[in-house]
Amino acid sequence: MDDFFFSLLLAGISVGAVYALIALGLNLTFWTTKTMNFGQGSLMMLCAMLTVFLSSQGLAVALAVLGSLVVVAALGMFIEHWTVRPALKSSGGSMGWVVSTLGFGIFLQGLAAKYFGSQAVAFPDVVFTAQDFVTVFGQYVSLQYLVVLAVAVALILALELFVRKTVWGQAVHAVSLDPELALVQGIPVRRLVLLSFMLSSVLAGVAGVLIAQIGGTVDPAFGFDLVLLGFVAAVLGGMGSSLGALAGGLLVGILSKLVGGYVSTAAEHGIAFALLMLALALRPQGLFGKPEVSKA
Amino acid sequence: MLELRNLAVRYGAVQALEDVSLQARAGSITAILGANGAGKSSMMRAVSGIAPVAAGQVLLDGRDITGLPAPARAKLGIAHAMEGRRLFRQLTVEDNLKLAWSFGARRVAWPTALAEVYGRFPILEAKARTLAGLLSGGQQQMVILSCTTIRSPRCLLLDEPSLGLAPIIVQQIYGFITEYAAQSGIIVVIAEQMAALALKVSQQGLVLRRGRVVLHGTSADLLRGNDGKALAASYL
Repeated sequence: MDDFFFSLLLAGISVGAVYALIALGLNLTFWTTKTMNFGQGSLMMLCAMLTVFLSSQGLAVALAVLGSLVVVAALGMFIEHWTVRPALKSSGGSMGWVVSTLGFGIFLQGLAAKYFGSQAVAFPDVVFTAQDFVTVFGQYVSLQYLVVLAVAVALILALELFVRKTVWGQAVHAVSLDPELALVQGIPVRRLVLLSFMLSSVLAGVAGVLIAQIGGTVDPAFGFDLVLLGFVAAVLGGMGSSLGALAGGLLVGILSKLVGGYVSTAAEHGIAFALLMLALALRPQGLFGKPEVSKA
Repeated sequence: MLELRNLAVRYGAVQALEDVSLQARAGSITAILGANGAGKSSMMRAVSGIAPVAAGQVLLDGRDITGLPAPARAKLGIAHAMEGRRLFRQLTVEDNLKLAWSFGARRVAWPTALAEVYGRFPILEAKARTLAGLLSGGQQQMVILSCTTIRSPRCLLLDEPSLGLAPIIVQQIYGFITEYAAQSGIIVVIAEQMAALALKVSQQGLVLRRGRVVLHGTSADLLRGNDGKALAASYL
């Protein structure tokens, strides 16, 4: 196989796994409320920035990551309570959450720029260092990339199992279909919604830390483009489907890297969105999404 | 016993229910009658905890549940079949039943509970893997009723179970309701526009008009005698 092609493929799979992780986080809140936290990117950034800050204060890196994840989870609850719930309650079309979650994300970005500075800061090695490699078909593959892929696949499998095999998974689905009916059936809707936002934020935090260690640096603007591509991956794969998130993420990742390698790196994102439009025209429910079936 | 004390429900400035009192004993059926918008559904929603109670109290077996959120009330045994044939349309029949059972009292083991439902409505067994939204209206109503009874409820609230169904299906549904009420000995409250139908199976009847009680008596009295005319008049 062509070495250049193969290295592009590997890079595509790695960034694709990252997009998949982000898509998974977006899916989680979509399951319960049919909303997405467009401030997800800022949570990724904040988690990475906090990790840098905490470890610079002398905390062990693992503890710093853990502490940052806790903060981000709490922020997830805050986002649900103050940006999503009020927007959903207001009458007359309820798309306000798009603006409010994005706005809160931009606010976090500003806050980080004020207190941590807008310069990129070096990110500590969490799992492997950038020098750790394995050789696959004669190609060097960074272990850090493999960790991202492994985490994404493991989380996707766990979530698929949870949704398909457990009654709580069904309950989460039920909440998104008809929250009022779920309430009178004794399903603790409020708790599930809060939990989904916390988990979604934690996923964003995990994705942020994993990507930051690959890039080696993090700055307040970090995460913004990534969420856009994660969103493309989620829609492409079928909103709400975990396997779809993985497939969509890998597809976007590989295609954008191939375009970047053979055409131009400037075209990477453009191609991703062109792909999204094409796919939605041909298959509106996404690769793994189920079309809505209903009888009047 | 289910007891409502001077219950009032308001949606913003709109007064849906005002000063409604009622006692529904275990082992009896209560019919809530009235035209569209009379407040029947608001009353049931106030009992199950999804309508804002502005004043008054709801008591279940002597316990004040007015301040409890809906899931807590469901846990205490209130099962509410909402108006407009509400079920999880994108889930299969069996998944609907499983969810209802899982978050209910679980007094009966799942296989037994499911077998009971299928024994009563064999058509649901044939449609077990079908999405509930694709069933006929009558079959959907059977799923909804089964979802409430599979929870082993203490108090059953049925909001217009006959709406939009063929007369023969209505007969079957009402046959099931009366049989289940008699055999389980729980509190049953039915909201219905078809007054004669509901009064025939119930022990007491309550007629609402613009959110207020205009008639209240035994079903037999409401059906016959002078009250019969009053019943007709209360709809006009």
